[in-house]
Amino acid sequence: MDQLLTEIVDKYNYWLYVVLMMIGFYAMIGKRNLVKKLLGMNIFQTAIILFYVSTGVKRGGQIPILDKYAALSHGVDASQIINPLPHVLMLTAIVVSVSVTGVALAILVRIYREYGTLEEDEILEKIRS
Amino acid sequence: MKIFALLATLATGIVLLYGTGDFAPWGDPNSPANSHLSPVYIERAVEETHVPNLVTAILGDYRGYDTMFETVVIYCAGMAVVSVLRRSRS
Repeated sequence: MDQLLTEIVDKYNYWLYVVLMMIGFYAMIGKRNLVKKLLGMNIFQTAIILFYVSTGVKRGGQIPILDKYAALSHGVDASQIINPLPHVLMLTAIVVSVSVTGVALAILVRIYREYGTLEEDEILEKIRS
Repeated sequence: MKIFALLATLATGIVLLYGTGDFAPWGDPNSPANSHLSPVYIERAVEETHVPNLVTAILGDYRGYDTMFETVVIYCAGMAVVSVLRRSRS
């Protein structure tokens, strides 16, 4: 029990993101409303983005913006600067997530025009009949 | 049906939480993510690109093609939105 508690305190960020991911995943597979499914997908993506950004943290590190002339003349101590790579990769992921959300919202508008509803079972009923 | 969804979610969450056992603690400077490649970028970026902001240096210089095709992704998404939402004339 004590070991589990230290584990949670050491890695509380990962535990929080796992909880967020579970919320998003449940919304994706458990809800019937298509807008709620889309919101769940966004929550899931946000959890993954937060997870990646949190892997770049160094305790006691500074933000990755340097004084250019000091860095050119004295060099840089890499252990004092937090890791900029996850931030760059997550910028790419944010662009993809925005694009996917936009296309999905457009398709939802189109579905609503076609069937007059966004509930999954009602749409399936209308397709069958 | 919702019970199955809840059970699947809980199973996935338990597997993910079990997986966090192998991760480095939060903010550890010697974790694998912080010790393999990123020190090279941090030490050389200003010298090679003369950009003080390291995120911008990596995004714009080292990964320039990636950034260029991101704008292509945005363009494709915009085209898809327009073609889905356009009402047909007939």
